[in-house]
Amino acid sequence: MPGPLEGLRVIDFGQYIAGPFGPMLLGDMGAEVIKIEPIRGDNMRPLVVGSFMGCQRGKLDIALDLKQPDGVRIALELIATADMVHHNMTLGTADRLGIGYEAARAARPDIIYCNNFMYGAEGPLAYKGGIDPHGQAAAGLEWEQGPVAEGGTPIWIRYGHGDVAAAMSSAAALLIALHHRERTGEGQFLWASIFHGTMLYVADSWLDADGTPTTRPQLDREQLGLSALYRLYETQDGWLQLAAVRERDWPELCRVLRVEPLVDDPRYSTEAARHEHRAVLTDELARAFGADLAVNWRRRLRAAGVPCEVSVDMLDGEHVLFDDELFRLGLVTEYVHPILGRTRQFGNLVTFDGTPAVQDRPTPRVGEDTRELLARIGYGEAEMQDLKDRGVVTWPGDDYAFPV
Amino acid sequence: MTQALDDIRILDLTSGIAGPLGVLMLAEHGADVIKVEPPGGHRGRAQDGSVVHDRSRRSVTLDLTTPEGVALFEELCATADVVVEAFAPGTMAAFGLGHEELLSRHPQLVYCSIPAWPEGSRFAKDDGYEALVHARSGQQWEQTGFRTGPMFLHSPVASHGAMLLVPVGIMAALTARRRTGKGQHIEVSLLQGVMSLTTQVWNWTDQGSFLMERQHPPGVHQGSIFECANGEWVHASTMSGVDQTSTEGEILGFEHREQYTWLTMTPDEWEAWNSERIAAYKRWDRTELIAAFNAAGLGAEAIVAPHERFDHPQMVGTGSAVEVVDPDLGPTTQFGVPVFLTATPGAVKGPRPRAGADNDEVLGALGHDADELAELRGKGVI
Repeated sequence: MPGPLEGLRVIDFGQYIAGPFGPMLLGDMGAEVIKIEPIRGDNMRPLVVGSFMGCQRGKLDIALDLKQPDGVRIALELIATADMVHHNMTLGTADRLGIGYEAARAARPDIIYCNNFMYGAEGPLAYKGGIDPHGQAAAGLEWEQGPVAEGGTPIWIRYGHGDVAAAMSSAAALLIALHHRERTGEGQFLWASIFHGTMLYVADSWLDADGTPTTRPQLDREQLGLSALYRLYETQDGWLQLAAVRERDWPELCRVLRVEPLVDDPRYSTEAARHEHRAVLTDELARAFGADLAVNWRRRLRAAGVPCEVSVDMLDGEHVLFDDELFRLGLVTEYVHPILGRTRQFGNLVTFDGTPAVQDRPTPRVGEDTRELLARIGYGEAEMQDLKDRGVVTWPGDDYAFPV
Repeated sequence: MTQALDDIRILDLTSGIAGPLGVLMLAEHGADVIKVEPPGGHRGRAQDGSVVHDRSRRSVTLDLTTPEGVALFEELCATADVVVEAFAPGTMAAFGLGHEELLSRHPQLVYCSIPAWPEGSRFAKDDGYEALVHARSGQQWEQTGFRTGPMFLHSPVASHGAMLLVPVGIMAALTARRRTGKGQHIEVSLLQGVMSLTTQVWNWTDQGSFLMERQHPPGVHQGSIFECANGEWVHASTMSGVDQTSTEGEILGFEHREQYTWLTMTPDEWEAWNSERIAAYKRWDRTELIAAFNAAGLGAEAIVAPHERFDHPQMVGTGSAVEVVDPDLGPTTQFGVPVFLTATPGAVKGPRPRAGADNDEVLGALGHDADELAELRGKGVI
């Protein structure tokens, strides 16, 4: 089915995650995304196949050598047919290759062109590239997950949250620019970055006139929770996430845990008091939770209206990917990949009731659609073969050696 | 200067993170965002984050539990392009404003719902606290730490994923509307938000799952986190995308080994070499170390607390630490606009408005005169 972005065409030169994830999201919503890939393959392809598929499924793929003039010419011919260009090359790289904004605009005057960076197109570090952990460090995610304030070691949050933030914010920005183009006919250059995207995750932190920061919730040293009543507890056989954060949850929690005397204990009578005596209260509750199975606590607490959930291991996502209901709702998708066979992945990250989209095209192989795309812009069979012989383009043959 | 979205009006009924912050990017590119909240203000105002998440918009107070409040809301809907709500399931329907009803009367609307769990699923009505979504979706077991078992994630990652998807979804639906002439209901659940962040690891194929493994103790990028002098931490992930003129070892004063050679060391060799490396970092002042790495073309970032980020040279250099004068708090420093459209730049439009600050202006423009508004105010409707 078509999806909300039917008719939109995006050229994607991106690699790794921050580059290709945004165009994939637009493709998931119905845009035609053409991945322009080096002849030797995207660097991510052999590195982490799962992550590669998590950024590339659904795209058309043409393999081009952009170091050869004919490769650049073909790229610009494709850009001339497109609405948007997106990539995550370092500052100046696209211009050097001949596919920068000015070149793209010459090919397509109203092109919308987005470069995703590590740090941005301006500022003292604009010249540098980088990777997700730089963003997580600079924004404070690693510091708070440590938690460093409690004497912990900073911890990198798995997996690429800053990359994804950069990619999704550039996808939104592209569509904002598209709205402008539809009204005025004017394209533009825009940029996003891992640095700025990751900063969105801590946008709630601000300074007052004296430079005093806002107070933030504090994770405990063992990474179990933010308070005695919003925390993971170990039961006889597993872990339970408690969220007994409303006043009415407190007496019900005590009743279910059979620690009724705590209800009227002055140390715990108010939220402030419970916070002050957090450590000892946590010990009391931990002892109680340790006396029964997680699933039993879950059933009893939910019957009493106390929010909680068993913390489950989805076994590398398998239990989510084979959840019938999530599959029926389109949050999980299935397709057949020419090498890997039957494949399950996340489906719609946004659900569109009026223009539903389905992700049923696999991750392309290197040059999967080279011939179809060349034919579309007017190349004949002999020309295609000549380009292939000269190493300007390629398409998959019997000797295809990539894992995906 | 014209802004990209200055013909778009959004009614924002949300509190929390995903709704208010998701809409903010649209507000700061020109959309007229009107916060519609209960008289006295929405409950999320008590959180510090609301000062940032709810800025750059106007505020109207409407009691949607009264027929007059609902009638005024319907009048606003007739002037709007987008409605965004993040209530518990069934709340909007109880107001008579469920998506099917409202879209039947205002078919131009993009109606964006942000529930915790997807509508139509077995868990649609379950409690939707952030950490419960983490627990039930498997996210706590995806995170590594220095013990085994699930990790509580300090960062509200489900809301954050949804926050990023909300503007994408709204803009995609507005794009479709230009083609079809019709709005529609869209949904971004917190479950989808959290799934957006496991896209890189969760896959299954006939040939197996190909993912970057979980590690205990944490590995991959954790191996490039070091303590410097004075207890300060640095993420010395040296990948930088530019030519490097010195190695990590040359700068820090220990024997440099190329990254691929780490794999061939015996555990004892690794331990001996890496402990020398850790000791070398501990001798360095962090500021000097980062300056030396930058000069040599290596990547390194100070691991800081969130409030310290406002001093980052790149935050300053891109104008992203913005002064916003709040009507109650006075001058504040906040993070600015995260994306940069060169022809139609975004900008912070103003502070978080007081609840109902724009009642007269917004409702007056609908044709309600001062006497009428005074009466509605007296009845507690606005």
